[in-house]
Amino acid sequence: MPRKFSLTPYLFLAPALILIGVFVLYPIVAVVYYSFTDYDIVTPPVWVGLGNYERLFRDPIFWRALLHSFIYLLVTPTLIVLGILLAIVVNRRLRGINAFRALYYIPVISGSIAVGIAWRLMLDTNGLLNSLLISMGLLQKPVQWLAEPSLTLPIAMLLTIWMGLGYYMMIFLAGLQNIPDELYDAALIDGCNHFQKHWHVSLPGLRPQITFVAVISSLAALEVFNEVFILTGGLGGILNSGVTLVFYLWRQAFRLQHAGYASAIAMVLLVITLIFSIVNIRRLERGTEAE
Amino acid sequence: MMQLTHPVAAARSRAAHRKTFETIFWYVILIGIAVITAFPFVWVFFTSFKGPTDAIYSVSPQLLPQAPTLANYERVWNQLPVANFFLNSVIVATATVGLNLLITSLAAYPFAKMKFRGRDAIFYLLLATFIVPPQLAYIPGFVLAVNVFKYYDSLLALIFPSLATVFNIFLLRQAFKTVPNDLIDAGRIDGASELRIWWSILLPVVKPSLATAAIITFVNQWNDFFWPSLMLHTRSNMTLQVGLVALQGMFASDARGVAAGVVITVVPIILFFIVLQRQFVRGLTGAVKG
Repeated sequence: MPRKFSLTPYLFLAPALILIGVFVLYPIVAVVYYSFTDYDIVTPPVWVGLGNYERLFRDPIFWRALLHSFIYLLVTPTLIVLGILLAIVVNRRLRGINAFRALYYIPVISGSIAVGIAWRLMLDTNGLLNSLLISMGLLQKPVQWLAEPSLTLPIAMLLTIWMGLGYYMMIFLAGLQNIPDELYDAALIDGCNHFQKHWHVSLPGLRPQITFVAVISSLAALEVFNEVFILTGGLGGILNSGVTLVFYLWRQAFRLQHAGYASAIAMVLLVITLIFSIVNIRRLERGTEAE
Repeated sequence: MMQLTHPVAAARSRAAHRKTFETIFWYVILIGIAVITAFPFVWVFFTSFKGPTDAIYSVSPQLLPQAPTLANYERVWNQLPVANFFLNSVIVATATVGLNLLITSLAAYPFAKMKFRGRDAIFYLLLATFIVPPQLAYIPGFVLAVNVFKYYDSLLALIFPSLATVFNIFLLRQAFKTVPNDLIDAGRIDGASELRIWWSILLPVVKPSLATAAIITFVNQWNDFFWPSLMLHTRSNMTLQVGLVALQGMFASDARGVAAGVVITVVPIILFFIVLQRQFVRGLTGAVKG
């Protein structure tokens, strides 16, 4: 077939590429530049070389935020384990099972702001959790759940897990339904009990889903903001107990107008997400080779 | 006289008992989990109808309002432009979905069905942007909004940056790939332009994927908060999520009012989900395989 140069494909691509160029590619370049400047968004940026990075290095709150973001990654293995267990529970033919699956999915679509505020109301000193625990005799007097620094991060992580579980359940459920029944039958004939059956058949069969969930949920964990914002009322918790990388970026850029410094934080975030994604993709490639 | 049971029948009834027991066991588990996932919604729902005499905090806890009232909703409605919030959310989500699908499906066509220089390079570049944290783009995005596009504090600021999403290009490219080439060639022989082929041959065939992309985009826009909260400052311009946070600030000591606000925000999207449940599930499943 004779092939001549045609403009058509480029014209089809143009609107999307222009938009992505303006709103994704240009910002990456701009952030790299801003990170070497002192910039308050109002007046033009002033070149400061590595100044922001040096400051970052000596900023204890930045190190705390970094540590918190790494701690936050614990939601990923939790979501994988609970997601698989929940998928196994709902992967059976029972009357009304679709209604249950839908119920488990509702936190996912409700939006983290509304859900976070609902949690806040329940965890308030004058909220439901305290009335429950005191009624049951487990507490003597109300606890200020949201003002306790050591609880800020765990509560936010719990919220992330509670909100995301239904989504990951659906992904693992789809994976389970792709595993042929014969494999389970063979496992039973080989004398596997129910637990061994899932260990030897379900887990290997879910490998692509596990990798997918690991990538998606760890990126989401590194980029967490809404949960911390809502639970701490936009303040980041007492003694910065809930400050994560993105929360600190937000505070520096949009509360304190330190856009240059915030850009340096953004660069750190970018490097971490890049490393994470490369590691995860390598693992995915190794997984497919093994098959 | 003792009745003799046939051994097979006995075994069968034992198996049946076991089966019933198992079924009950699973329902108990399922209901237990449902309580965990649904309870906060149920509690907030009832709280939003509580009158001043119904306790939020009490030993022992009170779930149902004794004197149900709509006063909380009235208070929220009178102090905040809730109708505007709702309308703004609808406008942003629907405008984004409509324009986004046009632009991403246009881009997906050459990636799926045409050969041209730089196709793979461009495609992998787009895929790589997937990894970039969206919050990184918000710093320059803010500067652009204020200095270049001048759409700060308007709904355009929410629509424009969301019109081309790599995820949708990827999803629709996968869908277009499954369309037989014969169908496209037949169109070309009839003298149809590429634009015509895209519109009247490809798009109708991939309707299910379009529906999936539409739903995902709609929910993401509806629930988005970070960027909208940076852009919208005038009350009447806010979306539901941004408005809900404003409400939370205003009603700091009024749990019943905040609960009403949560219900107003959450009910539309839950109804949306219930109506389109089937498409939701298909969309999720497709996302991993893709």
